[in-house]
Amino acid sequence: MLYDLRHSDLRVRWLVTLLLATLGTSYLFGAWMVALYAGFSPRKVAETYGPAGEAVMAMQMPPEATVVTERPVSMGEMGEEMHHVDRDLLVQDTHVHMPMYAVIAACLSVIALGLPLSRWKGLAIIALLFAAPWLDFAGMWLTKLASPGFAIVTLAGGWAMALGYTIVAALALWQMWSPRRPHPLTPSPRGGEGERNVLSGESSL
Amino acid sequence: MKTLLLGAVTAALVHITPTVVLVKRQDAVNRLLPGADQFAAREVHLSSTDSRRVHDAVGWEPPDGMITFYIGKHQEQVTGALMFMRVDSQHGPLELAVGFDPRGTVRGVEVTKATVETKPWVLEALRAGLTDAYRGLAPDQAPAGAEKVKSHIGAMPGYMAELVDKGVMHAAAAYRLFYGRK
Repeated sequence: MLYDLRHSDLRVRWLVTLLLATLGTSYLFGAWMVALYAGFSPRKVAETYGPAGEAVMAMQMPPEATVVTERPVSMGEMGEEMHHVDRDLLVQDTHVHMPMYAVIAACLSVIALGLPLSRWKGLAIIALLFAAPWLDFAGMWLTKLASPGFAIVTLAGGWAMALGYTIVAALALWQMWSPRRPHPLTPSPRGGEGERNVLSGESSL
Repeated sequence: MKTLLLGAVTAALVHITPTVVLVKRQDAVNRLLPGADQFAAREVHLSSTDSRRVHDAVGWEPPDGMITFYIGKHQEQVTGALMFMRVDSQHGPLELAVGFDPRGTVRGVEVTKATVETKPWVLEALRAGLTDAYRGLAPDQAPAGAEKVKSHIGAMPGYMAELVDKGVMHAAAAYRLFYGRK
């Protein structure tokens, strides 16, 4: 443990709690937004990020010759815009969202570093936090460029993001505010890796 | 920690602001396809050769190689066609509705969507009469709405006007090259 969040100053624990609450709220609205604009099924995600138009599943590559189709539509259908992310918009989305995802993953990782976890568990959580946005955008690009079947990768990224947040938030809130958390001077029962007494600064290694 | 905070602030600043609807799509359809009571969507899925053609003509390729013309009809007679065009910028996308009459000249242009950031700039350009400049424009004529309003508006509204010009130019090229394609 690089620092001990459990026994950190009350202001630090308050900051982390509010950060987690704010991120959690934004994640809930993020899920709502996904439901509105993309959906949670591989088919819906493939329709959003795959090639445009009616023959979304069938037509991956440009046709040999230009194909024209015509179908009647209602006024309502013209008003309803199907949310479709084309290549240019995906470039913009990737550029705008990847840095923000990296900052969120870094914040959650810094919180995880302050929790009494083994080195391997810490590494696994950090890997999960950063893998989520990579999976998310890799899925979108592969859906667009390779096959609609890769929509499942985007869904996996979304669920990984939720899982990473839930693990860190649950552990951090429990460790910071549990009345049963150990006193700062009490040695860790397991003498975990890198455990350090926050007052003396001595490492248990 | 300083770097993290700086990163978070930077990320927040570069984030594109949310989309706002300036004109509902249905209202744009009513204004640009007046009198139409039947509608059809003509979808043109372009070959690589045709995509290159439009790119060579106006430096733009339709998103995912697809162009959709919405055609308005009254008693089986075509009253006009309409295209929704997206124009991207670093401040977020604009959406235009560009309407054509049956002769192929521009009947009108509506800016249907902007972003929270670009909305005031777009409105300033519109108040200066930007879209009046497109009425009657032939598909092979270059739109010059921005040039007409730029001296009356600020720099960013002028930039928005240039984006609208660009969208009209793309729509006109698509109409000229592919509307009549069967």
